[in-house]
Amino acid sequence: MKKKDIQTQNPTWAKYLPWLAAIVTLIGAVSGLFGSGQVRNMDVQALGRLPVLEGGRVKPLDSIARNSLLVIRSQQSFRYNDRTVGPDEWLADVLFRADIADDQPIFVINDPDVLALMGIKQSSERYFSFKTLSPYIDEIQKQSEAAHPIDAKQRTRYQSAIVNLFDRLYLYHKLKHSVQVAGTEGGLTQEIKDVAVPGAEERQAVLRELGLFRAFPGAKVSDWRSVGEALRDARNGQPLDKGLAPMARVSDAWAKQDAPAFNAAVGELLTQARPDEMATAKSELIFNIAQPFYTGMVIYVIALLLLFVSWARWPGLLQPVAFAVLLVGVLVHTAGLTSRVILQGRPPVTNLYSSAVFVGWGAVVLGAILEWIYRKGFGTAVAAASGFASLIVAHHLASDGDTMEMMRAVLDSNFWLATHVVTITIGYSGTFLAGAIAIGWTIRRHVVKVQDPAADKALVAMCYGIVCFAVLFSFVGTVLGGIWAEQSWGRFWGWDPKENGALLIVLWNAIILHARWGGYARDRGIMTMAIFGNIITSLSWFGVNMLGVGLHSYGFMDKAFWALVAFGSSQLLFMLFALLPPRFWSGNRVAAPRTPVQA
Amino acid sequence: MAKSENKSALSKILGALLSLKLTIVCLGMLMVLVVACTLAQVDMGTNGAVNAFMRSFVVWWKLPGTAYSIPVFPGGTTVGAILAVNLVVSQLRGLKRTWSKAGLWLVHIGLVLLVAAEFVSAALQVDARLTIEEGQTIDYIERPQEFELAILDTTDPKHDEVYGVPESLLKQGGTIAINGTPLSIRVKQYFKNTELGRKEEGAPPSLATQGVGTGVAIKEAPAVTADDDRNHPAAFIEPFVGSKSYGVWLAAAGLGAPQNFVHEGRTYQLAMRPRREYLPYKLTLKKFSHDVYPGTDIPKNFSSLVHLVDKGAGEERDVLIFMNQPLRYAGRTFYQASFGKNDTLSVLQVVENPGWLLPYISCALVTLGLLIHFAISLRRAQRKRQRQAAKDANLDSDQVTA
Repeated sequence: MKKKDIQTQNPTWAKYLPWLAAIVTLIGAVSGLFGSGQVRNMDVQALGRLPVLEGGRVKPLDSIARNSLLVIRSQQSFRYNDRTVGPDEWLADVLFRADIADDQPIFVINDPDVLALMGIKQSSERYFSFKTLSPYIDEIQKQSEAAHPIDAKQRTRYQSAIVNLFDRLYLYHKLKHSVQVAGTEGGLTQEIKDVAVPGAEERQAVLRELGLFRAFPGAKVSDWRSVGEALRDARNGQPLDKGLAPMARVSDAWAKQDAPAFNAAVGELLTQARPDEMATAKSELIFNIAQPFYTGMVIYVIALLLLFVSWARWPGLLQPVAFAVLLVGVLVHTAGLTSRVILQGRPPVTNLYSSAVFVGWGAVVLGAILEWIYRKGFGTAVAAASGFASLIVAHHLASDGDTMEMMRAVLDSNFWLATHVVTITIGYSGTFLAGAIAIGWTIRRHVVKVQDPAADKALVAMCYGIVCFAVLFSFVGTVLGGIWAEQSWGRFWGWDPKENGALLIVLWNAIILHARWGGYARDRGIMTMAIFGNIITSLSWFGVNMLGVGLHSYGFMDKAFWALVAFGSSQLLFMLFALLPPRFWSGNRVAAPRTPVQA
Repeated sequence: MAKSENKSALSKILGALLSLKLTIVCLGMLMVLVVACTLAQVDMGTNGAVNAFMRSFVVWWKLPGTAYSIPVFPGGTTVGAILAVNLVVSQLRGLKRTWSKAGLWLVHIGLVLLVAAEFVSAALQVDARLTIEEGQTIDYIERPQEFELAILDTTDPKHDEVYGVPESLLKQGGTIAINGTPLSIRVKQYFKNTELGRKEEGAPPSLATQGVGTGVAIKEAPAVTADDDRNHPAAFIEPFVGSKSYGVWLAAAGLGAPQNFVHEGRTYQLAMRPRREYLPYKLTLKKFSHDVYPGTDIPKNFSSLVHLVDKGAGEERDVLIFMNQPLRYAGRTFYQASFGKNDTLSVLQVVENPGWLLPYISCALVTLGLLIHFAISLRRAQRKRQRQAAKDANLDSDQVTA
């Protein structure tokens, strides 16, 4: 009967509303791809498409621009002189017009002691240009060198900050000397003319030493040459690299801001690249511009907000809309994940960053499946919330630079990355989702005025099902990890911190299941335990990396310590609320008439 | 009367052993141990922490400021054993032998096997190293954590006879007869870990009367357990035959110079070195490779091309050992572990674990079991929902007709 009511309440166009919402969201998501990519009629995006070798892999120059800016400024673009400077334009300035780039405020400094070192008072201004910092570079270097021998974990906040600032200055310095020695008259054009002149050798050595990337392709990956190497080879009598002259023209044209000359020279430079590398670089550029994980994050927030509204008003209308928007988020998230897999030629999880992206994806897909089955809005809520949370985590993990770095020798195994790493990460997803459902259940208990036992029952059933799922995947993942370890380190199980972390997740999920089977824990107990699962998972995911011991410590990180403490405390608080006996629940507190509602 | 009381006591014990509560308590205690073991690794090293928490019957806590330790928690061995018994007993007594429980049966058998595998490797796994330079042929492996006093008969220039005295015997002290030779040794003093230095002018004379040891100052150091640290044991020993003594010698790890003495025309050399185990086959390192990604120092691959000669088995072949691809031969597994000397030296980890196959079997059983069990549960839940839906539909139609 109730179903009919809803149908009669909603006008016929309501049927199409979710579709409409999905289409609008999708259009919004892909709209970023259709920018002109030009600055003052100069096609900087075309320059960003240039394939270069850096960090052991061929990538578009755009990736270097974005990752460097992300490392230096923690953002991929910035406002300067009342307009937004994108990564490609910024890099063009750094490479070809260093004096302009030196004026741009790109170095973010938050540490008050580092600011005090330079006699700058802490104010709302957190971004400084190279020119502002340049008088203090010797002092920064001295301080950084003093802090450098100290183990990264033992450094004070100031020491970490000063080392970090110096590293960023050095990265900027390297970029500035990747095409020409910054500030020399005539730039690369003069350098080519003077290739055999006395004194040129030193400058070529500087370019070789500092150049961040290799721009000139060779037959093999190891044959790629940087500008400095190409100049040295020319000096030693080899023919001039075909890329040098167009690169010099690009530099000159940008310095003069001559748009036609710049576009022509960039076009010529691009013809030097091999077609397959050109295609890969172009795909990665599109991936960079689309920023699928950032877009996904925004879509998840929209879905969540729509759902919140639906709980206050128009539930029949807005719940399907929220679900539709969530599904678009899943689509974008999946597209991003797939692109990474294709671009990198690797399974989806290769480092801490991608594990966050994948954990979120797993949780969102599971949540969407739950929503598909139960259609109560809870699935959408937990899916959107966990998707958003994990992508935020991923966003913060990305600030270390290239997220598609090459795999260290022991990790260089697609088979094990695809089996062990993916299964264990799905196990994390499941445990987090169970925890998210339990938090949803707790919030309902304390916020919703009208009781709905059927809905509560459904939530408990969902949580139980997901815990079963999580125990399967985390166990299998852990044992697969053991087998990998057996094959590469010679022991199945070594009580290494990361292994112990995985074991804790398995043990905890097993305890939840046995407590339920034995009848020792009922709804409240199971839900509280599921929330505790969040703490265990976050500790074994990130916490063990902070110990810095064991064979798995390649994912080392120290910044997230307080974030982890805050997360753990919030979960403990939720557990407390989950444990409160029924007389504290809002439905009972207001003594609402107990009206059993049929599902 | 007495009989029935006995019976009830027995069934009580059995009841306790197969209770699900015990399972949960054991799992919880295991979690506590795992957390403690993980945190302790920062100070104690992995080996030390594992021995203290996981491979022990009881966890001891040293009272600060005293020499006394008190037991504070059951160790991993105890908890693991109780858990295994609980699993087996509840399996045999509690769980129904029906097809619907087939999945859980498989899971639990697999888990017992996994616990057993950990016990087997704790008891029987032997870790050793094989350090080999390019072009070198080696027929022994070394245990880097254990030392031995090696007495080498170097009379024959082509072939050394080796007599090893394990560290444990040196620790006991007293007189040790070297079987196969007329020699015996007296252990004057033994140290688990030492620091060596040059003897200062005017320092008290060394115990050693012969060899380089006379000029060496020796300082005892606390024994270490961390993974990367090595002990440097040392001992003052006196070789003798009957009443003829060859003087007191210092044998210490890290003492490079060879120390020889001659007995009845045979030359004997003394050395303190990592305990060696000779293999019935030989390995020659043909080439060690260490590749990095171009333009970076990120390692791409380490590999050792090894030539294996086993005359006894009539095998002679080349083997490439690289990351995630060990050589398994005659019960031992050789892994690429480390390298040195400008990429001309390769270090292989050598593991002997008769139970290495158990986790594989266990993994397969548990995975299959969980899949079967959840599939059965899912189908049951689905049927229930369908029945419920059918009931609701009936209700609806009833109301409509009404």
